[in-house]
This record gives sequence, C-alpha cells and structure tokens, in this order.
Amino acid sequence: MTNIGIYICHCGTNIAGMIDVEELARKAAKLKDVSVVKDYRYLCSDPGQDLIKEDIRSMDLDRVVVAACSPRMHESTYRKVLSEAGINPFLLEIANIREQASWVHSEKEKTTEKAFDLVRIAVAKVKKDEPLESLPADVIQRVLVIGAGIAGIQTSLDIANIGYEVVLVEKEQSIGGRMSQLGKTFPTLDCSACILTPRMVEVSTNPKIRLHTYSEVEEISGFIGNFHAKIRKKSRGLNPDLCTGCGECTARCPTKVPGEYDEGMGKRKAIYTLFPQAVPNVPVIDRANCVYITKGKCGICKKVCPAGAIDYELGDEIVEEEVGAVVVASGFDPFDPTSKEELGYGRYKNVITGLQLERLLHTAGPTKGEVIRPSDGAVPKRIAFVQCVGSRDEHANKYCSRVCCMHAIKNALLIKEHHPDAEIFIYYIDIRAFGKGYEEFYKRTQEHGIKFMRGRVAEIFEENNGNVVVRADDTLLGMVMENEVDMAVLSVGMVPRSDSAKIQKLLGIATGSDGFFMEAHAKLRPVETLVDGVFLAGTAQGPKDIPDTVAQAKGAASSALGVISHKVLELSPLISEVDERLCRGCGDCKDICEYGAIELITLDSRNAARINPALCKGCGACTVACCNGSIKLRNFTDTATFAMLEAVLGGEA
Amino acid sequence: MKEYASFLGCIIPNRYPGIEASSTRILGHFDVELVQINGASCCPAPGVFSSFHLDSWLAIAARNIALGEMTGKDIITMCNGCYGSLTEASFLLKGNKELKEKINGILSKVGCEFKGTSKIKHVIEVFSEDIGVKKIQEAMNTSLEGVRACTHYGCHFLKPAEMKKHGSSERPRLLDEIVEASGARSVDYKDKTMCCGFGGGVRARNLDVTLDFTREKLNNIISARGDCIVDQCASCHLEFDRGQVEIKKIFGQEFRVPVLYFTQLIGMGLGMGQHELGLDFHSIPAKPLLDKLNGGRR
Amino acid sequence: MTEFDPRIIAFCCNWCSYVGADLAGTSRLQYPHNVRIIRTMCSGQVFPSYILKALELGADGVMIAGCHIGDCHYVSGNKKAEERFRMLLGIMKTLGLDARRIRLEWISASEGVKFANTIKEFAREIKELGPRNGGKE
Repeated sequence: MTNIGIYICHCGTNIAGMIDVEELARKAAKLKDVSVVKDYRYLCSDPGQDLIKEDIRSMDLDRVVVAACSPRMHESTYRKVLSEAGINPFLLEIANIREQASWVHSEKEKTTEKAFDLVRIAVAKVKKDEPLESLPADVIQRVLVIGAGIAGIQTSLDIANIGYEVVLVEKEQSIGGRMSQLGKTFPTLDCSACILTPRMVEVSTNPKIRLHTYSEVEEISGFIGNFHAKIRKKSRGLNPDLCTGCGECTARCPTKVPGEYDEGMGKRKAIYTLFPQAVPNVPVIDRANCVYITKGKCGICKKVCPAGAIDYELGDEIVEEEVGAVVVASGFDPFDPTSKEELGYGRYKNVITGLQLERLLHTAGPTKGEVIRPSDGAVPKRIAFVQCVGSRDEHANKYCSRVCCMHAIKNALLIKEHHPDAEIFIYYIDIRAFGKGYEEFYKRTQEHGIKFMRGRVAEIFEENNGNVVVRADDTLLGMVMENEVDMAVLSVGMVPRSDSAKIQKLLGIATGSDGFFMEAHAKLRPVETLVDGVFLAGTAQGPKDIPDTVAQAKGAASSALGVISHKVLELSPLISEVDERLCRGCGDCKDICEYGAIELITLDSRNAARINPALCKGCGACTVACCNGSIKLRNFTDTATFAMLEAVLGGEA
Repeated sequence: MKEYASFLGCIIPNRYPGIEASSTRILGHFDVELVQINGASCCPAPGVFSSFHLDSWLAIAARNIALGEMTGKDIITMCNGCYGSLTEASFLLKGNKELKEKINGILSKVGCEFKGTSKIKHVIEVFSEDIGVKKIQEAMNTSLEGVRACTHYGCHFLKPAEMKKHGSSERPRLLDEIVEASGARSVDYKDKTMCCGFGGGVRARNLDVTLDFTREKLNNIISARGDCIVDQCASCHLEFDRGQVEIKKIFGQEFRVPVLYFTQLIGMGLGMGQHELGLDFHSIPAKPLLDKLNGGRR
Repeated sequence: MTEFDPRIIAFCCNWCSYVGADLAGTSRLQYPHNVRIIRTMCSGQVFPSYILKALELGADGVMIAGCHIGDCHYVSGNKKAEERFRMLLGIMKTLGLDARRIRLEWISASEGVKFANTIKEFAREIKELGPRNGGKE
C-alpha cells in the first residue's frame, strides 16, 4: 500500500495550451494507489512547491509524481521539496510532458493521451523506487585549470585570491595565450600586453597557484570533489630552476626557423622564449630543429649559459595532482583558410590572415610594428580585408566567429592612422559591432575614410607584380567589382583547437555541433558541462571577445568554488549494487566496468563482486553483463522497466 | 577488356561527330569498347529543363538512364551537360523513394524503368581511372612538345562539388594531368574555371551575353599564349568553335584558336590525322596545329 | 475501420539522446505522437529482454537511442548496446518477429533535429509495416 501524489503543472500555456490538464488529472486520479491529483499553473514556483509539501504532510503521501517540464530542469528542485517535507527525495518521478509532449505535438487529444501514458510510466516507476541516501564524499579543495590564456589566468586568480589552491596547466612554454599575440585591443586600443602582463605576473607570484607550463594533462580519473590528474611536464632541454632568463642562449643560437607565435611572419631561434614578457621567462629548446640534438654539432647555448642550466638529456617529468574541480580554458585556433582555394591563401604571398597582420602590427613583432607585405617587403598602401572567412559558410563553419568584424575594423584604423594616405577596403556581409563602445568605434573608423564594401568576396587572384585582385559582388551598387590591392587580409574565424578531442576524451565532456565544448544549458548554465565538477571558460566554449572571456572565466571560478568550498559533497546514490547472496563471482561485471569500480572479494569460501560506491558512475553496463541478475542499478531495475512497459502497453495501473 | 554504354546526347551526333570518333578510337586503343544505347534522346539540357519543370527533366533523363541500364553496362557520356543531367537526376531519384516511384510511373507508360543499377561516368573518368595517366604517356608516339594547351573544364562536370566529387572545383587537376600525359603543356590562364557562356539556355536567349563570356576566355587564352583550347564538353566545344565565327560577325574581333576535345589531343599524340579525329567538322581549322606537329612525328 | 496508430517505445540515454529529445522540444520541432520515451542512464543498460518484453506487451516498434560511438558518457556503453542489438537482430526471425520493428540510433545532445526526423521516419516505417497480427507476430 502506498500513497502517491500526482502534480500536473500547466507551465502557463506551455503545457496547458496543448494538453487538457483537467482531463489528464481526471484520468490520473483513477490510477491505483493514487491518493491525490492536483494541477497548478507553475509548480516550480514557491507556492507550487509549498502545495506539494503541504499535501505530503497532511495526506501522508509517501511517493510523488510530477508531470511537468524535463527532469533536467527541476528534478533537483522537486527532490528538495520531498526532503523538506520529510520523505526520501528519491521517491520522486517526473513525467516529461512539456519538452517531450506539449511542445512537440499539435493534436490536443492525442497529446493528452500521450501525457497520460507518460504519467502512467512515471507512476509505475515510482512504485518500484527505493528510498536512497546520498553518499558523503570528502572534497579535495583545489581546482585544476587547463589552459593559461586570459580565461585560465582570470579563473585561477579569482580562486586563488579567495584562498584555495589552483593547479594551472599550460601547454605552451609561457602563459598568456592568444591575448599575448595581440597588439592593441578593440575598442579602447588598450595595449594587450599592458593589461595582460600584470595578470601574468600575479599568477606567477601568487602562492596559491601551482603553475605547470610547457605541460599537458595526460590522464584524469575520478569524480566531482575527487579528481586525480596526471600531468606531463615536457622537457625544456634545460633546468628551469637554474635558468636566470638572461637570454644569452637565444642571442647566440645560430639556427633560425619560422616562428609559430608570429604565425609564420617571422623567424625564431631553436632555443627561444615566446615573447619578452614570457612567464616563466625560461626558454625552450626546439628538439626538432636544435643542431646539437639532431646532428650532434653546435652546443653553443650550453657553452655560453652563465648559469649552466642547459641539459639536453633532461627528460619529461610526470606530476600527479589531486583536485576537486576542473576548469577547461583551452582556447581556440584560427581557421586555416587554405581550404578556401578561391581566396589564394598559401598560393599568393600577399594574402595573409588577420592574426598574421596582428603580428606585423605588434610593436614587438617580427617587423617591429611596420606592416610590410610578404612578397617584396614593400609597405602596402592599398589593403583589402575579407570578412567571414571560414565563418557563416556552408562549406566551412556555419557559425559567426563574433570578433572578426571588430578585429578588422581595429586593424584598419591602426594602419590608417599610421599611413593616412593608405586606402583600405573592408569587404563584409554584415558588420557585427555588438559590444560596449563597438558601434561607436565602427563609426569612428568610417569617419577616418575606411571604405566598407558590402558583398561577399568571390575570388582573389594575383597580378604579375605581387598585387592581388579582389573580385567581389558589391551589393549596394549591384555590380561585380574588381579591386587591385597591394595586400589582402583574410579575417579568419575561430575554430576549436586541433587537440580538443584529447581534452574531450580526458574528461568525457561533450562538444556541440560546432565542435566547441558544450555548456550544460545554452542560456542558464553557460559555464558548466554535463559532467559534474567540470567547467568551461573562454573560447574553448565558443568564439567570444576578451570582455566576455573574462566574464565567463569569473563565472567558471565561481562555479568551481561552489564545488570545492564544501568540505564534504553528497554523491548521487544512483549507482549499482550487488546482491552478494546471489553473486557467483564470475567477474564478468568487473571486466566490463570502465571505471574499475568493481572488484572481486572473498566471502566465506566463495568470490563475490563488490562495487566501490565512490567510483561507480551508475551506467548500468554491469547489470546487463551479470549472468544471473545479482547486480542492480538502483531505481533503474528490470522490475521497474517491466512495470513501466506494462503500465503503458498493457493498459494497467 | 572493359565495356561501357555510350550516351551521346545531341551536339556530338549532330555537330561534332569527331568527338565520338576520336573517343571511340582511342578508347579502343586502350581496350575499352563502347556499345550503343538505342532510342536515347536529348539528355535533356540540365539547366534549361530542370528550371522549367522538374518532373519533365527527371522523366526524360531517367528514360535515357533506363535505356542505358538495359545494356547491362555502366554508362559514359562525353558531354558535361549530359553528365550533369544524368548524374543529378540519378542522385535525386536514388535519394527519394517517392520521387522515384512517381517518375517510374511515368516511364512505365513507355515500357521503361529506372533502377539505378548503372553507374554514370564522364569519359574522362575512364581515362583517369580505368586507363591511367601512365598508360597514356607510354602510348604516345608523336611528340606534342611545345604545344601550349589551355584546358577548359566547363561547369557541370565539377559542380556541385559535394555530389560530383572530382577533387577541387576551384583548382581541378584531372584534365590537366591527362593533357600533360599526352605530352603537351597545360598552360595556366586568367579565370581558367570560368564558364564558356553556353549553358542555362543563355546561348539560345541572349547570344551576345554568351559570346561576351566566350570572348573573355579567348582573350585570356591569347594573353597566356595558348596554342589551343582543350575541353571535355561537347557544348563548350561548340561554343568555342562556332563562337569564334559568331564573335567575328557580331563583335568584329577575329580569333583563330584551334579547339580540341581532349581525346582529339590524345589522338594527335597517337599520330592520328585530321580526318580520323573528325577535325574536318570544326569551323576553326586545327590544321596549323597539326602542321606544327608533323615535323615531330616519330 | 480505425487507422493504425502505432505504439512505439524509445529507450533514450540520459546524457545524449534524452537531451536531444528535450532539445527537439525546446526548438518546438514537431514529430508524431506515437513514441513514448523511457529514460535510461545509458544505452548500454538496456537489456535485450526489455526490447522483447515491450514487443511482447504489444509495442509496434522499439527504438534504443544512445550517444554516438566515441562519445558515450560512460565510455563504451553504446558499443555494448550495439553488440547486443546486433545479436538481437540475429534472433528476431527465430522468435517470429520482424526485425524492422526494432531500431538502434545514435543521437547526440545537440541533435534535436535528428531526434525529430528519426521519430518521423520510424513512425512512418512502422505504420507501413502495419499492426502486429496479435499472435501471428
């Protein structure tokens, strides 16, 4: 005998508009063991919740079914209602009659019928549910931040300044990320290094931040509150503790190769730091290009190092860290426009990307801030910017990369201010100047005489002297125009980093259809992932500018703190358990468990399986592997499923 | 020995039988035989028909394919337009069960059925896949060295790129590789992938617009010092050949650029003559080119 | 003679396909009402006996939806689901059941459109197959 209460939410007209809630209530009241059925406009509201609480107390209800929106919205809300009313929070089931009924169907009668079926299913399940207690787990009060660009840096500082320790892992040899590659930022024309480097120094001097640069996370295991990470600290070819950052090695190194940091626009040495304000200010030996390592010759850096820091044989180091939460701030890659063959990138020397132009404009860049064109080093006076390269494109990426309009406008203005006689054309489809001060900046740029040409660039081809011709549809004039310029700059969009698949596998987080890491809810949970304890910050989650990146980084810090600020967390009890009386000890479940949560123990004279509740993730794979049904996934049992099927197909209550 | 059913379309039998002659002869040289498709009609012209009435286009194209399927062989075409029409119709019908049933309903009235059992290829695919560039190179017995060939791919062979899948539609390589295999040099020129101007019914409706396209291509080829145009489409072939006569009449500009279908170029490399290759049917004489080569006959 | 209105049960995994179904809802995509979704934690937790039981009780079609291979929240649960499904397909005929009545589909959390289209397609196919001649099948 059980007393079930059924609560049907109208959700305004979201449910009540397509489902006859009164009829549904009438039908539901006839189900066996149902003591009360009520409908309410907004069940998730305080009075709605109070209604349920009251009924539980006054009518001695012991199980509750809520017919409303997806459990992913309010399951935890209603569980709390049950707890507060004095019954076990796991004796709750939710019938999803909104996302999976009223919102997707259009015939009132059939939808109401379906809603009743869904209620029947929920009632059958709730009868089989057992009261469960959450498992307490100690929380490791530290956070792992993957990526030390501005997002990772901001998150780390926010957490560290509250007093918790942060493990900050950066793949490159210095922190700073993409922002360090930028010269002046829009719309204020702030020098990027000037606003970034103080933060970088703060990170390096903060006693609560454990910084691992030139390092990568190789393995992560565990669960919220208890993650265990294995980090590979790659060998720099020298001892960072001895290095004083004097730079003598770099100055004397005879080998020059194209520099990745300069996006190929300049050269670097085989032993090098990324930029003058690098943190840590310790170089790295590029093993693939070092003459000593590859050919056994040279060795000049070792000879000239006053601190004796060079050690070619130095190997990688593996570090293990324990943390309670993880923040992924791994950043983005620029779109490679080689695949847009019609634009000639990689074929014609004077077609470059926006980031390459950025490096040319950078006062500490390969040309010390002078924009010169690759083919002959001449100063280009006629420049065309091509917007939306690789973005808003059916053949590349469908999304808008958000920052390229402002980036091109900013760079166009900088060039024009330096060379007032320059003629600059920006070929666009739409100009996105959405942020604070952006529209005003756009207007200012127009007033400076930069020409905005509305039309998609169809093709770029080369003339004999290295000049390129931009052929575009001018939609405002209604004509196809050809424009010979000295140099073309492709405003390439943002794409997920090439190694994001690695991070995805490490943590088991999802990516969206655009390839960026997916947030738990597009509007309301922008920094969480579907994996408890793992958060997102910055462009790893999607294209955005610096203000939005910093805001999101701060949000991620706050969410991570939400996890680690507790000493103990309650873990979900929805895990598998073994009936040791029935278990034959065959070990099939142990073999199938991805998480190593099952081990065989000796009970009296036989073997039996035992599940570690802290490691079990509740997937249920073992339950199917079990040959005699001695493992059950709590509240997702066979009997529950069969009962649900009978309820909806057999027409029984 | 490989066999294919040959779909000829309109322009080849009516205007440029040399394309069929040279292709058939040269394929024969490489052990590929062509069988006739009886009762075939116009493909029909893809741009024109599909923009007027989808079902008419599909039914006529499906009938041609069905007739080809009855030979039990895969189908090849020598014209980009026919290639485009047949492959796109086949793609649509294979992907949509209801459409296929509808069209087969129409075809049943003439005792035909589209089954989708024959592959549809452009003859150039036979050269690049079945025969291969190496064999072509080895077979050459007449030097084409010094011949500057400007290749013209046309449109319907390469695009839509997702469906046709012949490599890059912006920088294609197929025809150039075959031309180079024959010993001639493929010379780059401005706007190489531009349309000849024929298609979409424009030639029938606005000849001056069409000829404007053709003229621009010819000017670019002259600037690049091309000795000839080498194409892979009967429609483009007609456009460049007749087009030069029409351009002289309408615009007063004279061009005398020989126009060769790619198998005619290969044929020259095999030592075949004017008559064998059907060059007699061309308005613009190819003789100057042949004369240039006769000295190099091995 | 009432028109055949198939009853379809869909076991959807909590991490991907169930979320995909929710996304179809928030996007207001419309699909046939014939499906009843039962949430499972993982497609790898779906016993073959669930599918058979559903068919036994009169379901006209049963679908199992999980994450794309490589994306399973529990690493390889969907691979296990695939193996079991394949095995089940193999014995459907022996059991006197039409194998076209069961379907395994990978639908990610961001594939609301795919979810809706899959239901549309499956419902249409089951409708074409017609009702199970109660006892004959």
